[in-house]
Amino acid sequence: MYPAPFRYHRAESVAEAIGMLSELGEGARALAGGQSLLVLLKIRFDEPTDLVDLARIPGLDAIEQRDGEVRIGALATHARIARSEIAAAIPIVRDCANGIADNQVRSRGTIGGNLCSGDPSCDWPALLTTLDAQVHCEGPAGKRSLPVDGFVEDLYATALQEGEIVTGVSFALPGPGSAGAYVGFKRCAPAYPTTSVGVQLTLSGADCVDARIALGSSGLTPIHATAAEAELRGQTLGEAVIRRAAEAAVAASDPIDDQRGSPAFKRRLIDTLVRRGIDVARRRCAGEQVEVSHEYY
Amino acid sequence: MSWVGKSLRRKEDDRLIRGKGLFTDDEPADLHLYILRSPYAHARIRGIDTSAAEALPGVACVLTGQDVLEHCDPFMELAPGEAAEIKDYPLARDKVVYQGEPVAAVAAETAALAMDAGQLIDVDYEMLEPVLDAAEALKDEVLVHDNIGTNRTWQGVFEYGDVDQAFAEAAHVVRIGPMHFHRYSSTPLENNACIAEWTRQGTVEFLCNNSFPGFAQQLLAPGLRLPVEKVHIRAYDVGGSFGNKIWNYVYMALAALASKKAGGLRVKWSETRSEHLLASGHGNERSYYDTEVALDKDGVITAIKSRHIDDCGAYTRYEPLGCVIWSQVLPATYKLRNIRIDFSQALTNKCPVVPNRGYSRMQQLWFMERVVDICAHELGIPADEMRLRNYIRDFPYETPNGCVYDSGDYPAMLAKAKELIDWDKWVAYRDQARAEGRYVGIGIGTTLDSGTNNFGQAQIMNPQLPFSGNSEACIIRLDFDGNVVVTLGTGPSGQGHETAASQVVADELNIDPAMVQVRTGFDTAWNTYVGHSGTYASQFAVTGLSAVHGACQKLKAEMRKLAAFVLEAAEEDLEFGVGEQGPEVRVKGTDQFMNYWALANLVNNNNAVLDESLADVTLNVRHVYRPPFKVPDVERKFGNLTLTYASQLHIAVVEIDPDTCHAKILAYAAVDDCGTVINPQIAHGQVHGATAHGIGAAIMESFDYDEGGNLLTSTFSDYCPITSMNIPDVVYGNIQNPSPFSYSGAKGMGEGGGAPLHTMSAAVQDALHGAGIIITDSFVSPPALHRMLQAPNREQAVSVD
Repeated sequence: MYPAPFRYHRAESVAEAIGMLSELGEGARALAGGQSLLVLLKIRFDEPTDLVDLARIPGLDAIEQRDGEVRIGALATHARIARSEIAAAIPIVRDCANGIADNQVRSRGTIGGNLCSGDPSCDWPALLTTLDAQVHCEGPAGKRSLPVDGFVEDLYATALQEGEIVTGVSFALPGPGSAGAYVGFKRCAPAYPTTSVGVQLTLSGADCVDARIALGSSGLTPIHATAAEAELRGQTLGEAVIRRAAEAAVAASDPIDDQRGSPAFKRRLIDTLVRRGIDVARRRCAGEQVEVSHEYY
Repeated sequence: MSWVGKSLRRKEDDRLIRGKGLFTDDEPADLHLYILRSPYAHARIRGIDTSAAEALPGVACVLTGQDVLEHCDPFMELAPGEAAEIKDYPLARDKVVYQGEPVAAVAAETAALAMDAGQLIDVDYEMLEPVLDAAEALKDEVLVHDNIGTNRTWQGVFEYGDVDQAFAEAAHVVRIGPMHFHRYSSTPLENNACIAEWTRQGTVEFLCNNSFPGFAQQLLAPGLRLPVEKVHIRAYDVGGSFGNKIWNYVYMALAALASKKAGGLRVKWSETRSEHLLASGHGNERSYYDTEVALDKDGVITAIKSRHIDDCGAYTRYEPLGCVIWSQVLPATYKLRNIRIDFSQALTNKCPVVPNRGYSRMQQLWFMERVVDICAHELGIPADEMRLRNYIRDFPYETPNGCVYDSGDYPAMLAKAKELIDWDKWVAYRDQARAEGRYVGIGIGTTLDSGTNNFGQAQIMNPQLPFSGNSEACIIRLDFDGNVVVTLGTGPSGQGHETAASQVVADELNIDPAMVQVRTGFDTAWNTYVGHSGTYASQFAVTGLSAVHGACQKLKAEMRKLAAFVLEAAEEDLEFGVGEQGPEVRVKGTDQFMNYWALANLVNNNNAVLDESLADVTLNVRHVYRPPFKVPDVERKFGNLTLTYASQLHIAVVEIDPDTCHAKILAYAAVDDCGTVINPQIAHGQVHGATAHGIGAAIMESFDYDEGGNLLTSTFSDYCPITSMNIPDVVYGNIQNPSPFSYSGAKGMGEGGGAPLHTMSAAVQDALHGAGIIITDSFVSPPALHRMLQAPNREQAVSVD
């Protein structure tokens, strides 16, 4: 497949990228790892006039932890994140990074591109919502940081303004007693999940001090399941509490009917995955080593 | 010492792995073809404006339906009656009849430019109501091809024995509701591709990956209004076919027309994956109605009657041959003698079907396996016991419709598979799990891979067709330098023909396979071929290797005659072997010999020394193998339709997660019997591939259309072929019941008979029967099982009297 003709520009700095994107206008797209954008171009679902390649901008791929905060540069690839010390220390990050597509995609695709594609099937927006992350942007009007919750505003639409790019994301290092899990169900590695769920719990014994739950591939945007969290927060984790949380998460979802399954099937999966996520997060809070990621057919 | 039967490392792999294969898309061309396809399933073409495309610099020509009308004749139709009047051209003319149908084509200097130009073509469509369901199509309310007045391409009743009497005498009658075999395909690694050149001499030169070029040539020549002699086809390395590449002659014709219009420049067409999924050809979809099964008091099936409707999509390419080909395995592996099946085929506004691994037979085998399992469950007979009561046991066995099952031992395969999977352990596990309320099931799938078909069966479908028998050709020669060179009419697409043919020649000449050069690939100018030449229908091990074997006998006779003359020895005192100077013919018990170079040199460079009696010795011999077939009795639909019947028996243990509805495979065993095995490693690989393919078909791969006829699964994002992550560990076993009908006892075995589909349906039903579920659809993906669990169907799907 061949994209429609476009002009290619390589930005050497964030400032230059912003300048180019602003000048070139709405026909221009920022290119990072290309794992979503190039596919759309090749099947001519999108025909931009210009591509501004961010990949060579120095320093945008850093993964670092400082003062209780984790910061991941927009150009960090899924594979590098999966191998990073951050992923080793925070299993939910590893669950997500390792579960994205296949080796080829993980080696090229970036966390920033994943977030900016605005695709509700992408894993990072749901994961970052689970971790209550901030999205750091830079544009003609300067720098700003936004909560990831709400960053993806609609199907394939984000809060980015014209000329603005994402430079990185950050979230607080989970404290003691806090652990999470990111679980999905998918047909095969290269396919998007049928649904996915991120759960982050802060426990004191069996009591839930805090909870964050987000759903991927469960509606037109990533879904922050606040009602489900409220069912858990302040409660002792028992069967009835978990059931109510799962039901609330299902109620918050709005899955579409597609080749991955009917809305009824996806709601059943969401229910299942919330329970599994809570179970794994709880065991991890207790110090157990548990390996999870997407489950395949 | 025999090379046949050894896991000789594949000779072709070194070449293929090092990038020295000859694949069509790797070769250069002058122009690249882009095909503009219909976005609609059914629409009238009111007009096409190509002016903007033609004006784009770098565009050589644009083709539309008008061009094909001027330069082509419709492709030959195999169907009798009304369907014979279907006009199948490389481009749509006044109407499009499936989403993805080619409407126009652009040849340009680059593929990207061709695509740019293609987007500038303006087509004015008037949308029409599509017909998408085969049973609906048979009502003829919406016509796919208006000129033929019907959507029915073929109908016939296959009736044998005394069905009514068997039902009258039955102890049990089981009635089964509608069942459905879903639409999927094979997604070979390499998509379709061809390069065409319409030369100044008026010939057309094709480089392509067609897998049945002997047939393609006979379709292309009249379609392009050329004598066969002017259509030259080469097909070398092919990255998987599974039957799908039989039909790509349609695109070959289009590329040839583009070359003609572009003044003879070489035009390449290389299909994209999306095009492949959308429009390259799907496997046959089939529905089964009004199924009734008569059984005696012991659960022995005595009769079956049913009505089958096959959905062939929008054109009859290779069809309606599928309406007869299934009857190669009419009773599957079971001994019932009374059968009545009313078989129809319908056109729909969907992608045309093409032969796909297990073509038309696995649809019948799946049906029979469903019947056996449903009857077993309803009568409370264990699935293994049910099969043992019904299996055919004596071979050769003539089926009710005159097919001869050459050899086999289904009970032994079952025993072996049970041993491999540890049957008793899993039965205990299943029963324990069930007691805990879990869905665990064990399924058996017995299947047949009928190979080397008798083309005479085409006459059952249409008595006017001038086809029968089967054949394959081989030339073997001693080259000037004494090398043994073998050429064949087959083009391998992963089956290891080079290796297998070398093993056969090495045995015949008592030399090492490394000393044999096999030039595989189809080439009308350079290799030998016959009308049946190609790689399809599980036949190389019989047709190809029998041709090689026969050619070896002729060559050896010449070598003996020549060596006897020169060495002044009696022919019976000679032997073949390898000496200090390499391969040789020698006088037994002496130091007298002639090496291959000396023999070849005598004939080619130094022949004045030869006697008149050696005038016919050329050391370059051709042999055509013809299986011993007769033309079937067309009226009775009776005759031997296939030479060999390889068999497979699979067992799967599944547990269905009630939360994800995923039938997770806990254990899987596959036992194969393809008679004498030429190369165990290659045979094992075939079984493994066919197993993976079938499991993918059962749980992952389905072509789904919406009510408008839009294909919902036209990318790998939606149509998910099985990946290594999804494939369970397959425990493999082999038993060998040699075929009495092939010289070596080998049987074709490339298709695998769809065993995993039958096996997965059986295992899932075993797991869910207690939940009131009868598996009536071959696609058992998690969403499908979720639907079933929401609405158990046993009440409607089956009844027992």
